[in-house]
Amino acid sequence: MKYICSVCGYVYDEDSEKIPFTELPDDWTCPMCKAPKSLFESEEETEAPEIREIEESDDMEQLSPGVLAALFSNLARGAQKQYKTRESELFSEIAGYFTAASPSLPEADPEMIKELTENDLTILYRNLNDIASSAADRGALRVKVWGEKVTKIVNAIGSRYIREGGDFLSSTEIWVCSICGFVYIGDTPPAICPVCKVPDWKFDRIEGGT
Amino acid sequence: MKRIAVRNLRLCTKDCLCLYVCPNGATDTEDSIIDKDKCIGCGVCADACPSKAISMVIQDYPPQQKKKESVVNAINRLAENKAKEEKAARQIASSTTDNNLRRLMNAVARSSRLVAEDLLREGGYMLPQSSNSLDLLASLIAAPPSDEFPMKAANEILSTIECNDRTGRGKYRCTVCFTEFEEEDDGEKPSCPMCHAEGKALEKL
Repeated sequence: MKYICSVCGYVYDEDSEKIPFTELPDDWTCPMCKAPKSLFESEEETEAPEIREIEESDDMEQLSPGVLAALFSNLARGAQKQYKTRESELFSEIAGYFTAASPSLPEADPEMIKELTENDLTILYRNLNDIASSAADRGALRVKVWGEKVTKIVNAIGSRYIREGGDFLSSTEIWVCSICGFVYIGDTPPAICPVCKVPDWKFDRIEGGT
Repeated sequence: MKRIAVRNLRLCTKDCLCLYVCPNGATDTEDSIIDKDKCIGCGVCADACPSKAISMVIQDYPPQQKKKESVVNAINRLAENKAKEEKAARQIASSTTDNNLRRLMNAVARSSRLVAEDLLREGGYMLPQSSNSLDLLASLIAAPPSDEFPMKAANEILSTIECNDRTGRGKYRCTVCFTEFEEEDDGEKPSCPMCHAEGKALEKL
């Protein structure tokens, strides 16, 4: 039997490995992207998980300050890539305004990150997948694939922190791919991003300061 | 399609063939940045460069493909959640004393922002010069969310970036009476407001 990493596509082929997949220790991780064992799917696993309906809401036209922050920081990036330096700075200024204007959440803890990302994975990404597939929108399917993989890794790392505390981060670095947002824990970043395949120099080392 | 040459300093090995071939001296600068006012977009420097350090950057972008409303809604819903994840991560990072948790939350905040940016890019905000982006700015200027909203920045962008996908409203010069005019937005063929010349008598500006 073959088991495939749902983040990077690494194949664990029992025929060429000494240990059957199920007998690998629970803390075994993907040799390529360090996704936990639980994110592997067996080759035969095809059962489509039940799709939960999402409530339609009418207020989707109004984008929240947090979304506007990302919208404008994205336009700042777009302007920068077109060598429009001044416009890029101006878009960044507007993005900064919306980042600061984003209202505080009443309570925020790692559990909340875990719940939000679970909601993304079980409902929102599946919803996007269905809608983008029926609209034959390849661009939307692409953003779904990258975002879903990144969300899986963030959810897995957050869950690990909740389970065992932060010791596993103590003597190593945290890296974020500056293109797709993939999070990697290790002394050096991977040679290429397991999700979007950019080279290692596109990874940013995350510092502790705020 | 208008293009200008841009040099990537990471790749430039100072073979200086661009300098030798440029017909207009655009690459002859003290700061290694190609003079975009002198560049005529011929691309000869890019062809001559042995290190492939010069690329021709497009100036007139085609419009982004239209998205279905259902796709945009599904994308925006995710972007809202990503913004919430970013906010939660920022709050945790700023309130904790545990350096490991702070690093992890800084990473989550950055990652969530990048995923949200990517979603919004797909959802119709790829280009700063699109009518989507510029209309949004105009609506924020018309009804600023608060007094702190950076009006000056928003106005400056609107005055410097030209929209790439607004339909109609072409500018014409009449070759009969030399009147310059803007097309009406009424779906009719453009015609000169002075002498009513149409078709080939009009020169698109």
